[in-house]
Amino acid sequence: MPDKTDFYSRLNIGTGASEEAIKKAYRLAARKAHPDVNKNDGATQLFLDIQEAYKILSDPNRKDDYDQGRDPHDSSSGIMTAVEYSQEALLKLEEPQVIYSLVDIISTKDELQKSDDLPLNITLVLDNSTSMKGPRLDILRTATKEIINDLGENDLVSVISFNDRAKVLLPSQSQPSDIQIETALNDLYAEGGTEIFQGLEAGYEEIRKHPTLNYVNHIILITDGHTYGDEDNCIALANSAADQDIGISGLGIGIEWNDEFVDQLCALTGGQSLFINDHKRVKEFLEHSVASLKEAFSRRLTLEITPAPGVTMLSAFRILPEAIPLPLQEKFSLGILKKHKPHRVLFEFLVNPIPEKIDQAVIASGEFVIKKKIRDQIIPFTLERMITPDPESLEPPATEIFKAISHLTFYRLQEKAQQDVTSGNPGTAYQRLLNLSSHLMAKGEDALAKIAMNEADYIKSHNNFSPIGKKQLKYGTIRLLLPDIT
Amino acid sequence: MITCKVCNNQEYLGALFCGECGSQIASASNERVNTLVYPNQNLALEVDFTQTIPKKLLEESTFLLYSTEREEVIEIPEQNEFTIGRFVEGQVITPDIDLNNYEAYDMGISRLHATIRIDPEKNNIFVVDLGSANGSSINGYEIPANSEVPLNHGDVLSLGKFIMKVILPQDMK
Repeated sequence: MPDKTDFYSRLNIGTGASEEAIKKAYRLAARKAHPDVNKNDGATQLFLDIQEAYKILSDPNRKDDYDQGRDPHDSSSGIMTAVEYSQEALLKLEEPQVIYSLVDIISTKDELQKSDDLPLNITLVLDNSTSMKGPRLDILRTATKEIINDLGENDLVSVISFNDRAKVLLPSQSQPSDIQIETALNDLYAEGGTEIFQGLEAGYEEIRKHPTLNYVNHIILITDGHTYGDEDNCIALANSAADQDIGISGLGIGIEWNDEFVDQLCALTGGQSLFINDHKRVKEFLEHSVASLKEAFSRRLTLEITPAPGVTMLSAFRILPEAIPLPLQEKFSLGILKKHKPHRVLFEFLVNPIPEKIDQAVIASGEFVIKKKIRDQIIPFTLERMITPDPESLEPPATEIFKAISHLTFYRLQEKAQQDVTSGNPGTAYQRLLNLSSHLMAKGEDALAKIAMNEADYIKSHNNFSPIGKKQLKYGTIRLLLPDIT
Repeated sequence: MITCKVCNNQEYLGALFCGECGSQIASASNERVNTLVYPNQNLALEVDFTQTIPKKLLEESTFLLYSTEREEVIEIPEQNEFTIGRFVEGQVITPDIDLNNYEAYDMGISRLHATIRIDPEKNNIFVVDLGSANGSSINGYEIPANSEVPLNHGDVLSLGKFIMKVILPQDMK
């Protein structure tokens, strides 16, 4: 039996093995150990051990750490992770079961001195299509001006306007003068249609004028229109933005804009997307966005998660700092990591039937990567549970996770009601919204319950959602997911 | 799998809520389920029933239904689950409480209109509208059919046009 802690022996290679040899050895070992092939006890653990070894040895930085006798996981830092589960233990069952995990990461006080304290590099990408005419654009002008004046001396800012094409109103710079801002914003007048890609691309280029490594980079998109035909380009841009630690946040004004699409853009980069019906709240949104970026401890946090064999990830939802459904993939961009403030993700896993013999099972393994100026910091974690044959012995779930799942259920109900309508079952949607309404009422969410009730009535008579109610319900139920902590 | 008691949807074991109707799936929490509190509308009539209900009844019962029009307590069976409706000759399944004495037909009460379920352990009362023709409402809010909706002391429960007040003597103090 080789030493379990030796990554080289896990892959059956010597310490001098080349990159190519490591890769080959990993493939061979993983194939042999995969629980689909290997039916021995502990195959899953063996498989995960091999994965872990390869992860370290295939990364030159971490391999170096390991070779030099340092901890390649770098766990001595002031970053803490915590996990809460919906069940104390998994049940010994001959059928599949669901378990939820609430994963938190937080930077502790001691770590503060070591934070990079990065200046901001933001670009405001403003929709100036015809529909923005009048008060919407006026308010946007004032709010933009105030936000720029509030920035620090090292912060960079640029302003883009876009309709069918983009215009750089204010090129990326720090502390533009009042006259410069005034001149730039005078050029902001309403005309033309909405092509979001034009605006995003121009903003992206402005941000990339400066090395993204040295800044907290963010594109703030404000739109009131529906973009057509350039969605794929936007998604591709969001993906490369995420790779370069550039976040995107979106604010939709009114009822016309395409919320699914903007949500998706923002989720890909770990940003947030918000909806307001009253344009007067633009300033609030801008202030909140900038204040939130200023709290950055690291310019970007990613989370990679690998479900153990026999486990499927059903859903992932970022709860903190802003609630947003995450795309179902194994690597998530969580946006900036804030000082002191936890980041929290709720996972839902489906676990296959559990064989008789084992008394502990790994659900998934993963790692947070905190992007730093000098070297990225990696925080690994494992989600695992004991196994019990006795369901009666289980305590009910802790309040925090119970609440999160309860609110997730609300979000899902409105999502399903939308699907009902799309698939031609307004009757089912009606019923579902009534149910949602009574659950919301029971939780004391009277305002949202009333919206759900009105929406149910609207569907009854129109066989479809009202454009405003649909967005109110979606963003309303998302907002519920935020726990009441300050 | 586990079955949702409210809508019969099947969920995986370990699920805490029904994905179809959003109801909490059994025993997920020790906490008492908060019953629904509807904002009291005009319909939530303030009736002084202490004069008209015998003291003994108030002391001994956990749950009473009070007809506001007749100013009297509706007789309910001593069981934890019962149906309310309108008995019709030849009906196969008969309601536990027959409201024919209260002009049930004119009031728009269905043969099997609603079920009341009492959870004595947690002291929670629920009503389920059984898909009645004219629906049910609590304090003026229509409730969804086939869903368990909690009742509180003082609620006004309407089946069709028939109005009752929910009295939980324990919550009166």
